[in-house]
Amino acid sequence: MRKYAVIYRSVLMENLQYAMNIAFGFISYFIFIYVFICLWNYMYASPEELIAGYTKEQMIWYVMITEGMWFGTRSGTVTRQAATDIRNGNIAYLMNKPYHYTLYILTKYTAEWGIRLPMYAALSISMGLTMVGRLPGFRLVSLLATLPVILLGITINAVFKLCISLISFWIEDSNPFQWIYDKLILVIGTIFPVEIFPAALQPVFRLTPIYTVCYGPAKLVVDFSWEKFLEIVAAQIIYLAVGCGLMFFLYGKGVKKLHVNGG
Amino acid sequence: MLTAAKNQLRVCGLSVRYNIMREMLNRVTFLTNIGFMILNNATFIVQWVILFHLKEDIGGYRMSDVMLLWGLAASSYGLSRILFARAFSLPGLIINGKLDAYLVQPKNVLLSVITSSTNTSAIGDLIYGFLIVCLFCFSVNRLLLFTLFTITGTVIVTAFSLLMGSLSFWFVRADAFGDNMVNCLISFSTYPDGIFQGTARFLLYNIIPVGMAIYQPIHIMIEFDGRSLLIVLGYAALLTAAAVFVFYRGLRRYSSSNLMEVRQ
Amino acid sequence: MNVIETENLSKTFRVKQKEKGIAGSMRSIFHPQTQEIPAVNHISFQVEEGEMLAFIGPNGAGKSTTIKMLTGILYPDGGRAEVLGLDPSRKRKQLAYKIGTVFGQKEQLWTHLTPYDNFRFFSAVYDLPDREAEARIQELSDTFELSGFINTPVRNLSLGQRIRCEIVASLIHRPRILFLDEPTIGLDPVVKENIRSLIRQMNRELHTTIFLTSHDIGDIEKLCKRIIIVNNGQIVLDDSMSHLKYHYLNRKILEIKQQEETPLPSAKGITVLKQNGSHIKLEVDTGIIRINDALRLINAEHVEDITISNVPLENIITEIYKSADIGA
Repeated sequence: MRKYAVIYRSVLMENLQYAMNIAFGFISYFIFIYVFICLWNYMYASPEELIAGYTKEQMIWYVMITEGMWFGTRSGTVTRQAATDIRNGNIAYLMNKPYHYTLYILTKYTAEWGIRLPMYAALSISMGLTMVGRLPGFRLVSLLATLPVILLGITINAVFKLCISLISFWIEDSNPFQWIYDKLILVIGTIFPVEIFPAALQPVFRLTPIYTVCYGPAKLVVDFSWEKFLEIVAAQIIYLAVGCGLMFFLYGKGVKKLHVNGG
Repeated sequence: MLTAAKNQLRVCGLSVRYNIMREMLNRVTFLTNIGFMILNNATFIVQWVILFHLKEDIGGYRMSDVMLLWGLAASSYGLSRILFARAFSLPGLIINGKLDAYLVQPKNVLLSVITSSTNTSAIGDLIYGFLIVCLFCFSVNRLLLFTLFTITGTVIVTAFSLLMGSLSFWFVRADAFGDNMVNCLISFSTYPDGIFQGTARFLLYNIIPVGMAIYQPIHIMIEFDGRSLLIVLGYAALLTAAAVFVFYRGLRRYSSSNLMEVRQ
Repeated sequence: MNVIETENLSKTFRVKQKEKGIAGSMRSIFHPQTQEIPAVNHISFQVEEGEMLAFIGPNGAGKSTTIKMLTGILYPDGGRAEVLGLDPSRKRKQLAYKIGTVFGQKEQLWTHLTPYDNFRFFSAVYDLPDREAEARIQELSDTFELSGFINTPVRNLSLGQRIRCEIVASLIHRPRILFLDEPTIGLDPVVKENIRSLIRQMNRELHTTIFLTSHDIGDIEKLCKRIIIVNNGQIVLDDSMSHLKYHYLNRKILEIKQQEETPLPSAKGITVLKQNGSHIKLEVDTGIIRINDALRLINAEHVEDITISNVPLENIITEIYKSADIGA
């Protein structure tokens, strides 16, 4: 465990240097949220209207949280770097080090968002309070309860993205698959809550990672209930187990293939 | 003068052709990249179906107008990254001192640099744009206008990213700033301008050139207006001139802002 | 006639500094520290047409920076440079038609294309009409024996073949000066020799001026008649190769193998470099003691084998670097 702590620390340090770059990233986030504020201001005819059971404030906060998680954890480590390591054979060197490659990548990734996410959280909160207004019925306790759900959601997302990168063992370019995964998460779970879709589709969405990765955490922040909390945490644990299982399986298979082909 | 221009164009043409040939080496990757990009863009149709389900008119746009907007944004951005992909990754070249190879050639540095790479998925973007026009809102006039605006859009988008990228000659951190500005351009260009009011509107028509690259052309395609068309053309020319000027100004500093890598 | 002239050519770089640890990282965000390093410091020299010149120095001495100023890549901060009568920073394009450049590790070829297609591309870059380009490629291919692989994609060529193509690509427009920055880096001895004979041939047959930087003593020794050594951005030596050798080769290395161990000869001008039982290695300064006097000090009875050799050029150059460092 200690070695992962050291990896975490050194990546954290390296990234402090890029704090300025992160701050510039705020511009994109700000613009993105701003577009949504404009959009929902236009869509809600009156302040009391409910769309899919959400008030305007809830709807905008929902996007801010999901997008904040998205921007706050954006990095090429689980995607580009892992895929490149595999494609160019660099993995052969990393494999022989006394740590598990996938855990190394995940630790590195975690250290990266360890800096970014708090910065984005601070930005989201200040933007929300000044430009949107307080959430109706919000309690600090529920936010604290949601915190682990957010962290789990990010980790599950990372595991799935890493799984996609791992298919680089078999195909030349895994990027297109990343886009499709990203876009599904974006269109179905990030920019709208799931409730906005036709009722018939909703049970299907519950079975996708979207439910645990973005919808779950954001829903709990804007509209907390213990019932929902337990349901989402349970789903997350199942997803994390399945995701990690898949990750180790793919990695094991891939490494074996590498040995056969000699890289 | 004329022969020089002809020779220059020939070299640029060869560059683009060779770039695409390189991408085509692996046919499967090439085709999946294009296909998935089309699919990727198409997922946003879901977003707009949902939104138009809630309200029939969004910022003065109907569903077909938004499709046209998306189409133009995709084709402009796409063509720009097919022909001038390096305009989007200029800071890396500047900071790592990789302009040398272009500086020893007796050709226009700027053109040699920006045409020196291409982006396969951008072909998907370009195809998507034209597919949208043909499938959702076809007319011969519209197709011609769409083609024209794809070109002006390409020019504006390229010039803007060139302008942002050239800032790296002065500031090392400019790469992150420039990237974000280009991202803003893309974010804005896929939403109806009617939802933006006041300051935002001013910014979109002045600072981030999405107004002239995308919105104005959409209005012209919905209802033709010759004067607006001339304004768009003039704007494209002006922004290009500014970008070229800034790039060459910066190139003089290429030396002094150079890092150790250049020295070996 | 001089083809290259520089006068007090200078160039300074600003380099960013970072302090140690997390605190240092934090500080450097708010107060980035930079340091000015003079990469090239008042360098003046001339090169005549047809010369083969080695421009050498340790890493970071300013060799590449000088080449880059001479080829119009970098703007000098001070001084003057003239290449073929043109100011490289002002008449970059005009000059580019007349000079060729090969930057060792940096590849200019398109790797997915064949050498032939690459040459066609560079013909277009240098505005050669189709027919002339065709003839030129044929000529170069014959001269430098490329016909065996001229239609194989560059990525499938060996490193040596690739470098040969790199060099030929920069000759397509018949440059009058060829700048070579570490052309033989990372090549095996056979390929190195091959490249060297290619360079020699170019100089002899086309009368191309060769301006070469290299860390490889072999390149310098076998190719160049003149050597300029730079260190810390300044010229520490500008001399002909034969002169250099004459001045620095007043010392001989004496290697003797004996049947049994004997007392070491001791005299002024003799230094023992190594002793391993009956095997000894001496350096004799012939300015102080004549070589035959030194030999007389050795007991000829027991000598089994003896070698007398010059101090390797490599050592001479290292010494010059070092003495320049002390001087600075």
